[in-house]
Amino acid sequence: MAAVAMAAACGRLALRGAAARPSRCFSFSGCRSSRDGETAKFQPPPKPVIIDKQKQKEERRYLSPEFIPPRGRTDPLKFYMERKDMIQRRKVFNIPEFYVGSILAVTTADPHADGKTKRFVGICIQRGGKGLGATFVLRNVIEDQGVEICYELYSPRIQEIQVLKLEKRLDDNLLYLRDALPEYSTFDVNMKPESRLDHEEIPVNKLQVRMKPKPWSKRWERPKYNIKGIKFELPEKKMKAAQKWSQPWLEFDMLREYDTSKIEEKIWKEINEELK
Amino acid sequence: MAWLCLVSDLLVGIGKVRSALSPLFSRLNKPGYCRAMLQPLTIFMGQLGLVARHGNDATWWHEHLSEENVQFLKKTTAEEYKAQTASKLCPLKDEPWPLNEWKPDSVRVGVVAVKLGMMPIWTKSGKKHAVTLLKVQDCHVLRYISKEESEGKTAKLLVGGKNVSPFFKSEAAMEIFKEAGVPRKQKVTAFNVTDDAIIKPGTPLYAAHFRPGQFVDVTAKTIGKGFQGVMKRWGFKGQPASHGQTKTHRRPGAISTNKAAKVYRGKKMPGKMGNIYRTSFGLKVWRINTKHDIIYVNGSVPGHTNCLVKVKDTKLPHYKDCNKNPPFPTFFADGDEKLPEDLYDEEIFQFTDLSVTYA
Repeated sequence: MAAVAMAAACGRLALRGAAARPSRCFSFSGCRSSRDGETAKFQPPPKPVIIDKQKQKEERRYLSPEFIPPRGRTDPLKFYMERKDMIQRRKVFNIPEFYVGSILAVTTADPHADGKTKRFVGICIQRGGKGLGATFVLRNVIEDQGVEICYELYSPRIQEIQVLKLEKRLDDNLLYLRDALPEYSTFDVNMKPESRLDHEEIPVNKLQVRMKPKPWSKRWERPKYNIKGIKFELPEKKMKAAQKWSQPWLEFDMLREYDTSKIEEKIWKEINEELK
Repeated sequence: MAWLCLVSDLLVGIGKVRSALSPLFSRLNKPGYCRAMLQPLTIFMGQLGLVARHGNDATWWHEHLSEENVQFLKKTTAEEYKAQTASKLCPLKDEPWPLNEWKPDSVRVGVVAVKLGMMPIWTKSGKKHAVTLLKVQDCHVLRYISKEESEGKTAKLLVGGKNVSPFFKSEAAMEIFKEAGVPRKQKVTAFNVTDDAIIKPGTPLYAAHFRPGQFVDVTAKTIGKGFQGVMKRWGFKGQPASHGQTKTHRRPGAISTNKAAKVYRGKKMPGKMGNIYRTSFGLKVWRINTKHDIIYVNGSVPGHTNCLVKVKDTKLPHYKDCNKNPPFPTFFADGDEKLPEDLYDEEIFQFTDLSVTYA
């Protein structure tokens, strides 16, 4: 019934339309006319998608990984006292959001340097430690010499942490850059910081790194490291042989599960209230 | 048949009327009857020398109580504990024993604390140190033992630590706590104290008893490692891994000489390692948190996390100057001085300051 009415309406409007502007022809609702034969269901026009940028910014939460307490029998009061100190430090000194694979510039105070400050630019290859002792390692190749410096996030000697390029990589841990070709670890010391919009998602750099010839410091092809960011140019036989060391039961081991979602929620609320 | 009659007589004697053993056994399999029915049986078997009895009474505190009674008892003890702690909150108004002035010779009480964990701190020069957090949880003075009663040279004060449930101990053990009017404590230690530093039993002790800049000794039971071999326990070198060693890689080797013709007492041999009291001396107090009663003590402390620990002023003569004019005999919370939430040492870097610069 509705289809027939629609078809009739279509026809009438088309006639009117044709009368007014004979060169154009309108098609309503995906051109459903009596030509179809079957009764077509009425499909409403697609709703316009409203991208609320404010909401997106709020929805994207980032909790720095050193706030999440490790699994153990320690009293939560101890983590609470540490968190208070961490929040206090963040109120005075800005520790920006960054991931493993982002390029940072860190200025530290040094009594033996000219101007008493030292600036180092590098890619973050590892973030370790929990609580106040959290560290991150920056790597760069300066004058053909690879240099890695481990900084403590909450050390009072750090004057400034600047994120030059915020991005993620395919792995949590880029220690394999030590065995990769040096071009993948060189970054310009005078690089300009990249500007990015607040609400955009963090870009994931799917770069596959080419390695120096073996031997490597670790056997990165083995499944325990679970590295996705290397372009393995090893023969198939070697890759298959490496799979011998795989432990497929590990992902099903329930004792290793550590569900941090609720803990993260609580900590996120606590931190947000303090740092507003 | 004779021993069957014996059984029935015994059971009648204990108060349970049973004529034959078989109904006994059938009842044993039903839930809820197990231990009650096993008791007379085990007594009988024990007399025959067949079964070993464990524990002091082989019952637990709520074995013969109904569920409602158990819940009621738990609730009342919780309320009682709260009332007891509340009644001890104002020791100065409770006719305390005479307060004296501190003298360089006086030795004051210590405190029982819980080891929470470790944390880094930085000094104003940018150097990093590790500190242990010790939380003073429900610390009360329990008893005063005068010089004559104790066989030592000084008076003693018994101090108790963390609150625990009163149910799994005998009445005799609970006497000390009843006298002091204080909930049952997990750890009770004695401190040797000079006569001018004695405190009335029942006074609570707080973290503010110590001040930043002071030095303390911390005693606790080390982490138990169980039965350990000579290499881990005493640090022996063992033997090489290869080059013909037959089944000998971690053994002690020779234990004495030919001339001695005996093994000396105290020879280092494998045995139980750890779980003994050890003290770390001369630890600096960096920070005191009065709100949560936490002491931040330099370096590491014996014991695992959440173990109870005894904290005293140092006996090392090198730090005598740093321990001058402490709160004597202890810090009273209801006294005149109101302390801020956090007390810091002068050298410590407080996170409210800006980053360290070397100008």
